[in-house]
Amino acid sequence: MKEIIVACITLGITGFAFALILAFLSRKLKVEEDPRITQIISLLPAANCGACGFAGCRGFAQAVINEGKIFSGCIPGGHEINEKIAKIIGVKGGITLKQKTAATCRCGAQLGEKKESSVYSGPFTCQAAHITGSLDCAYGCLSYGDCIKACPTGAITLKSKKIYVEVKKCIACGKCVEVCPRKLFELVPILSNIGVYNVCCNNNEKLNNIKKVCSRGCIACGLCTRVNDSPYYLKDNLSRIDFTKAKEETPLREGKEKCPTRCIFKLE
Amino acid sequence: MKNLLIIFVSTVLINNLVLYYFLGICPFLGVSARIESAFGMGVAVIFVMTLANALSWLIYKFVLLNLGLGFLQYLVFILVIASLVQIVEMFVRKFSPPLYKALGIFLPLITVNCAILGASLLMVTKNYNFLESVVYGFAGGIGFTIIIMVMAGIREELEYSEVPSVFKGAAITLVITGLLALIFMGFSGIISA
Repeated sequence: MKEIIVACITLGITGFAFALILAFLSRKLKVEEDPRITQIISLLPAANCGACGFAGCRGFAQAVINEGKIFSGCIPGGHEINEKIAKIIGVKGGITLKQKTAATCRCGAQLGEKKESSVYSGPFTCQAAHITGSLDCAYGCLSYGDCIKACPTGAITLKSKKIYVEVKKCIACGKCVEVCPRKLFELVPILSNIGVYNVCCNNNEKLNNIKKVCSRGCIACGLCTRVNDSPYYLKDNLSRIDFTKAKEETPLREGKEKCPTRCIFKLE
Repeated sequence: MKNLLIIFVSTVLINNLVLYYFLGICPFLGVSARIESAFGMGVAVIFVMTLANALSWLIYKFVLLNLGLGFLQYLVFILVIASLVQIVEMFVRKFSPPLYKALGIFLPLITVNCAILGASLLMVTKNYNFLESVVYGFAGGIGFTIIIMVMAGIREELEYSEVPSVFKGAAITLVITGLLALIFMGFSGIISA
């Protein structure tokens, strides 16, 4: 009996001693940080799941404060907390969030549409294949999926050698933009009540050269620019969208339907 | 002195905590994907293991043994390690924010690294004195770092090969660990008796 009591007391005292040391040191070694971070953390669901792509809820809060914008990737939290966070970091003009963006891959060609006259054998990553080149088109998507691996939320998928981005899952973190060796990703605004449109071709060579390498490339024919109120414009033998002019869906849709190579896409 | 050298070499190469005792497999598998993170984890482990061994030895010798409470070593060592890691984290956060950012989440992760507890318990079984325990902790950390960096190097190369889908991830890593264990057994002839 005596041993039990001695053991309990010893353990108790040791534990208490360490607790005191820790409490004392945590006061002395306190690091000042923005109090808003603690406020934001208390709003978050505290699951530390990492779905947002950051290191736990604290990482998310720090990113929000550092970059001054709200990331939409908190899946357990949802959109309700975005409004509350907006109030804390003081987004201008009331509760309106800054316009959300999503990533789009600017190559629209599928298997069979982009020509591949050489056989590639080497590491099956885009970064490696880009060095030697495996497609005829020097700008096209190599579809070995470096972007899929880089995406923290799994928003990117590959089907018939074409990249699809799920807009709902995209948190616009920009990792795909960094990792693609052909710089095919672009963060475009998600237009309210419209969605995401983009011209999916990056090859700015002339018509004849494009036809040789791909049947889905933009040939800069200009048909999309000639619809009413068109937000499309031509630059460097490519069609582009001026998103500040895209207020209605009709001109975007008409341009998409008129395109002879069907290289304008709407992302779901 | 020769004693300490023997302890050092044998713990790093022969009786390696990961490959011989199979301790610390969880962070070993989890953090060995990239060389930078493996190195960060290794440095943190060296640091904590050395300090934890030193502190645990002192408490064991001067508190537990005097009161005849040697059996409490499991509980007390865990207490020591957990508190030590917290203290180290606070110090690092205050005095070296870049190091804190580099180590990131690894520092609190070390608390649950059974290799640390293993090193403390083993030093008791082997009846080391204070200096030997500290060297043992330091060597254990170095051994862990070497192995985890070797594994990280292998895994980075592995990304370019075609691993069969049943083996991808933890499975192939464990197979490689087994092979490494066999390889390092070759070192056991270095120290004769």
